[in-house]
Amino acid sequence: MSTALLARVKDEYGALCERLPASVVGTERRRSALERLCEQGLPATREENWRYTNLRVLERARFAPALTPTEAIADLPAPLEGVARYVFVDGILCASPQVAPDAGIAVSSLRTAPTAAMRECPSVAALPEARLALLNDVFATDAAAIRVQSSAGTQRVELVFIACAAAQVGASYPRVQVTLEPGARLALVERHLSTGDVANLVNCAVQIDLAEGSQLTHYRLQQTGSRTAWFDTLEATLAKDARYELLAVSTGGLTARSSVHVRLAGSGAEVALATAALGDRLQSQDTFALTEHLAPRTRTEQTFRGIASGRARVAFNGKVVVREAARATDSRQSLRGLLAGPEAEIDLRPQLEIYTDEVRCAHGATAGMLDETMLFYLLSRGLSPEVAQRLLKWAFLEDVVSRIELPDLRRRIELEIAGQMSEGASLKELLG
Amino acid sequence: MLKIDNLHVTVEGKEILKGLTLEIPTGEVHAVMGPNGSGKSTLAHVLSGRPGYQVTGGSVTYQGRDLLSLAPEERAREGVFLGFQYPVEIPGVNNVYLLKAAVNAARKHRGLPEVDAFEFLSVVREKMRLMRMDESMLSRGVNEGFSGGEKKRNEILQMLVLEPRLAVLDETDSGLDIDALKVVAHGVNTLRAADRSLVLVTHYQRLLDYIIPDRVHVLVQGRIVRSGDKTLALELERRGYDWLIGEAA
Repeated sequence: MSTALLARVKDEYGALCERLPASVVGTERRRSALERLCEQGLPATREENWRYTNLRVLERARFAPALTPTEAIADLPAPLEGVARYVFVDGILCASPQVAPDAGIAVSSLRTAPTAAMRECPSVAALPEARLALLNDVFATDAAAIRVQSSAGTQRVELVFIACAAAQVGASYPRVQVTLEPGARLALVERHLSTGDVANLVNCAVQIDLAEGSQLTHYRLQQTGSRTAWFDTLEATLAKDARYELLAVSTGGLTARSSVHVRLAGSGAEVALATAALGDRLQSQDTFALTEHLAPRTRTEQTFRGIASGRARVAFNGKVVVREAARATDSRQSLRGLLAGPEAEIDLRPQLEIYTDEVRCAHGATAGMLDETMLFYLLSRGLSPEVAQRLLKWAFLEDVVSRIELPDLRRRIELEIAGQMSEGASLKELLG
Repeated sequence: MLKIDNLHVTVEGKEILKGLTLEIPTGEVHAVMGPNGSGKSTLAHVLSGRPGYQVTGGSVTYQGRDLLSLAPEERAREGVFLGFQYPVEIPGVNNVYLLKAAVNAARKHRGLPEVDAFEFLSVVREKMRLMRMDESMLSRGVNEGFSGGEKKRNEILQMLVLEPRLAVLDETDSGLDIDALKVVAHGVNTLRAADRSLVLVTHYQRLLDYIIPDRVHVLVQGRIVRSGDKTLALELERRGYDWLIGEAA
């Protein structure tokens, strides 16, 4: 199956290669990515770290990207106050903020404003879990490149990616490169949406490079439509004392798979990775998150809260690897799943690999149903079973959502989650 | 207000209430006392509709209706309130959300519009002052990280805000120091009214120093074995329950 798909990837690339912008990914690199992909093969569910992903959607999709995006999108979510917004449709920049951002930050579309320094961003994609990033290398049509200077003060940027084209027309390949110079600070909101209710394929690649002492707070919201297949590969490398906070909320898509690889390369580097995933009906929500401790005194905190209703499958595979040099490492994992239906499925997998002494690693994973005593307490106060259940589900995700420090954004996500879980508006009113 | 007739209840196959009969007239405060394991908490839970309690015989009539046929939330909306012996912590559900949701559920049931948010908050704040609770508790999770005493005060706060017709307080005095006991008792006393009945389930007479009951009932081995006025509680304090256990057998 994979061979046939790869042959199709090759053909589609061959037919299109001259029209793909070399300023986004050089032709050489596209070719070598394709070669590596052919060597390694596309992911398959028989592989341990892909078993919960719905990969069948790839069989039906067209891999080649949509080259001419829809110009204007009518129905964008309201902008966040004080956050510069860039909108990408089918992976290609279509709207930038009216007001130019601060001098200390550069946000550019590599399709229209190639930056030499950006282009040289090395491809990591060494792990089997990162293979879909190679597919992004092959077909990317644009990239959002963000660079924040040391002295710039805290910057706020929002990237909105909207998938429009149906799967038979073309896939979209959102691509993001973030570089923070030493001591720089950035709050980045990355939101993935889709228009209408068409089946489409999104394959996203994000690369993050944090220099010494820099700090990135990264909010990722996956809210695509109910027929979207959403794939994602995120790789981040942290230098000494850098801090990366990743808050991901995934509610959309028919199938969503995110592969995250964080490398703590400098001593004192810290990552806090918090993910909330909601699956309903036939959705599958799958996250693979690997943190690699490569230097002393590095810290990881992984938090996952997932709810599966209907016949959904929600999976989180959280792996922490502590290499020999990473003495005095501290790692914590707290993974919790809530089963909200007899046919739903939760799969939690905390994994630890330790190659040194003198480390502190704690992990816990629990999956269960709604707490009956909590439920009864709410009923005894007059709440209907539906509202009580919704409220408890919402509270379950609060461990993740309450960490969002942009109040406007947090509130919208709370409403989004409440809406996703509600048949009526009562929970929304409660929050009002 | 409430009429319990020959009530039999089993929990996990074991009969706990064995023909309990009790009547609480409107406007009165009754205390149900008894030793450990006599069925006091079972009674409180059955009245609130908690799952896991199987009624095998008898009836409970509340304001002329069959209480046992109502779901827990319907009982609450009809004005039945249970003050929990062990109030549940619900992290992530904010206290004020719960209060508002509870009040609006009851109002909707009565065909009234939702409460005005501003007015509601000022009512809640006033009741919090009465319960000597810090306002910061409003924005915290329900009972989250509260001490035992704070949880009990929060139960009474909910009761004050909900203004039930019938309140059943299950060992509200347990785990309270004397100052907290006074605050809780004061809160309960402000709710005494001609159209409201209260049932205090307790081990000790101590609470009854501050909330004077109209009637005291002694529950032993699943039945009411003696009823009397407030002096019965004093007698129990003096003599213990042993002399009544013989009578129940």
